Amino acid sequence: MSPIPIPIDGGAVLTPLQAGMTLTPLQAAILAFVLGCALVAAVLRDVLGVIIASAAYSLGIAVLWVILRAPDVALTEAAVGAGVTTLLFLLTIAKTVRPSDERRLELPSPRTAVVVLAFVAVLAATVPAMPAIGSPDAPVVDSRVTEYYLENAYEQTEVKNVVTAVLAAYRGFDTLGEAVVVFAAGVAVLLVLKREVFV
Amino acid sequence: MSAPSPLVSGVLLGAASAFAALAVVVLYRVLRGPTMQDRVIAVNVIGSNTVVILALVAAALGEPMYLDVALVYALLNFLMSIAISKFTVERGGVI
Repeated sequence: MSPIPIPIDGGAVLTPLQAGMTLTPLQAAILAFVLGCALVAAVLRDVLGVIIASAAYSLGIAVLWVILRAPDVALTEAAVGAGVTTLLFLLTIAKTVRPSDERRLELPSPRTAVVVLAFVAVLAATVPAMPAIGSPDAPVVDSRVTEYYLENAYEQTEVKNVVTAVLAAYRGFDTLGEAVVVFAAGVAVLLVLKREVFV
Repeated sequence: MSAPSPLVSGVLLGAASAFAALAVVVLYRVLRGPTMQDRVIAVNVIGSNTVVILALVAAALGEPMYLDVALVYALLNFLMSIAISKFTVERGGVI
């Protein structure tokens, strides 16, 4: 079976982030904005200010998703990152205490900085090794696992969409676990809100 | 809606870049404050900026579907500002 060609938006040009590592001015500006938001959220002392900064971070990162041609991810980021998370954080600090003193900024502790730097180092070491987005040479395109699913999914599960077949049949227990997580999160939100139903 | 000519899309993307740079500048107001109301207004400006950037990108790439994201953003931006404002006025009243 020949490798499956990946349609990229009807032959549209790849964004520079996909083609190489050069940035357009728009991407550079948004990345600077997102980085700035993250730094502001890290150094602000007041948690309400941190919530506002992380909401702005969410807004910025979702624009980046749109530029990378993933509007569905951008919608989710907007709804969850900017909307639901902000509300839940506000509810949380409404029910707990806010440290209130005169200091406006507080640098993160050295231990936190070390952990963050280690994580950045891991990312810097592993991310460049990944194949380019949409690359026809990516291992997943012509791997035996992909071909197995494409050839046998319909006969074995009688589900026409291969992605749905993998999610609901081959990885059914994994999906069940995810559903349990979502259910637990919903119950936790109801507990925080002290309500019995949503809406 | 098909993708516009390279000149037009370049101008649109350039305008979007200018708006993104403006958002970076407004971020200073989020950091500096000094009051929480300043921060709420600043994040509201950033949200409006985001909607404009999304609309410009949608026009530049010729993808009307991206306008849906911009619409959701406009709604959420309003919701977020209202929630934070209400929180600063009456503590605990979020929704």
